[in-house]
Amino acid sequence: MTGRGSPSRFLTAVLHNGVGRYVRQLQRLQLLFSPTAADARGARQFVEEAAQDFARQHPDVVLYYCECWGLWEGDGGGLPALALLWDGGLIASKTSEEIVQLATKLANQSGLDIIRIRKPFHTDNPSVQGQWHPLTNKPSILTVQGPRLQPQ
Amino acid sequence: MAARLLLRAARPLLAGAGRGTGLGTAFSTAPPPEKKRWLRAYLELQRLQAPPQRRSEKPNWDYHAEIQAFSHRVQENFALDLLKTAFVNPCYIESEEARRRQLGLDKDAVALQLQDNTDLAERGLHFARAYLAQCFEGAYPELPAKGIEALVNFLTSQELVSYVAQNLSIQDLALCRDFPAPPDVLQRTFLAVIGALLESSGPERTGIFVRDFFIPQLIGKDLFEIWEVVNPMGLLLEELTKRNISAPEPRITRQLGVSTVLPVYFVGLYCDKKMLAEGPGETLLAAEEEAARVALRKLYGYTENRRPWDYSKPKQGLAAEKAISSN
Repeated sequence: MTGRGSPSRFLTAVLHNGVGRYVRQLQRLQLLFSPTAADARGARQFVEEAAQDFARQHPDVVLYYCECWGLWEGDGGGLPALALLWDGGLIASKTSEEIVQLATKLANQSGLDIIRIRKPFHTDNPSVQGQWHPLTNKPSILTVQGPRLQPQ
Repeated sequence: MAARLLLRAARPLLAGAGRGTGLGTAFSTAPPPEKKRWLRAYLELQRLQAPPQRRSEKPNWDYHAEIQAFSHRVQENFALDLLKTAFVNPCYIESEEARRRQLGLDKDAVALQLQDNTDLAERGLHFARAYLAQCFEGAYPELPAKGIEALVNFLTSQELVSYVAQNLSIQDLALCRDFPAPPDVLQRTFLAVIGALLESSGPERTGIFVRDFFIPQLIGKDLFEIWEVVNPMGLLLEELTKRNISAPEPRITRQLGVSTVLPVYFVGLYCDKKMLAEGPGETLLAAEEEAARVALRKLYGYTENRRPWDYSKPKQGLAAEKAISSN
């Protein structure tokens, strides 16, 4: 897809986040995993070993987890899922460390759409000096110009 | 992506079914059920058409934990009882009592033992207004009282406060009759949160809280966008007479395309043969008005290239040291 066709946005922060104080944008994480499926081994390990540490390091994120039997009819058991407020990420057959990594990444995200960012910098006031116009850097018509000296 | 969306939609519907089929296929000799390829699209459609639901009505909602996480998220130490009170709106209490009455409970059981946030919201509004006015008086000493009032009114307006509240996801936590929560409820709830912080952490922390969440909203806003001045020239004359400066003399400094449909004039205001300000405009009157606004901005110290607001923490230690060393 061309640059014009794909969705894009400018670099922004929610509510000028970080100008006054930083507010973490992730509010809650839901971890759904099967208590039996082989796929969910990493998720179970995460719950048993790493979840408490994660919660302690991120007191501003509410972490829910619940056992969940077969999500799909065809699957024998179920897929573990890390569902978020704005998006759901599949954590099937991921190890505990990978899940911690994923959760940390999500906790540090702004939650804005993950689309192409036009430039890595942005300002609402593109010019400090003011926009150019035909009279920029021209003398005022009130300036009286004296007669030029004749070259000798 | 579709699989993820589907996963969420399918969970309640298929949660029971999965277990059933798991056991069923193990013991039955019936042929395996055919793949329902329409199911995926159908469930996605159902998900999109479903009416929006409160977050608290969806699975996995622990109100106490959410409130605690909120206080950590804004990095403040709230007294949790006060914070919970701040989220209780009077309309919620009314609707809840009406619902209980409808269910046929007796009168003692109907009354909810809840305090609403009216008191906290009033206190929060009062404090926020006083603090912001004090801030602006300190930062822009030249700005007249009317201008400061306009700035404070803008920052505590329903539109802006509800916008801030929404971006802090107060609408999920606020207990309210209507869904989605109307802006006046959001504003009241956010002000009540400020009131609760004032009660639990004292005015200094609350002042920083108000500063951190309200003052960044002024970024990129012009003074006269917020403060409507109908006659800037009259105001400029008033200000200049206060400062004992002679009346400004408008003069055309530059002009372009005068005989076309898109002329541009630059008018400069001169006081005592010194240029006070220069402003452009399509007509001479508009240019003069713009020049007056530019002059006012300069006088008030609220120019576009002003120094950014200082968000650093007030240095108590330094102030204390200075006080000690001066003694």
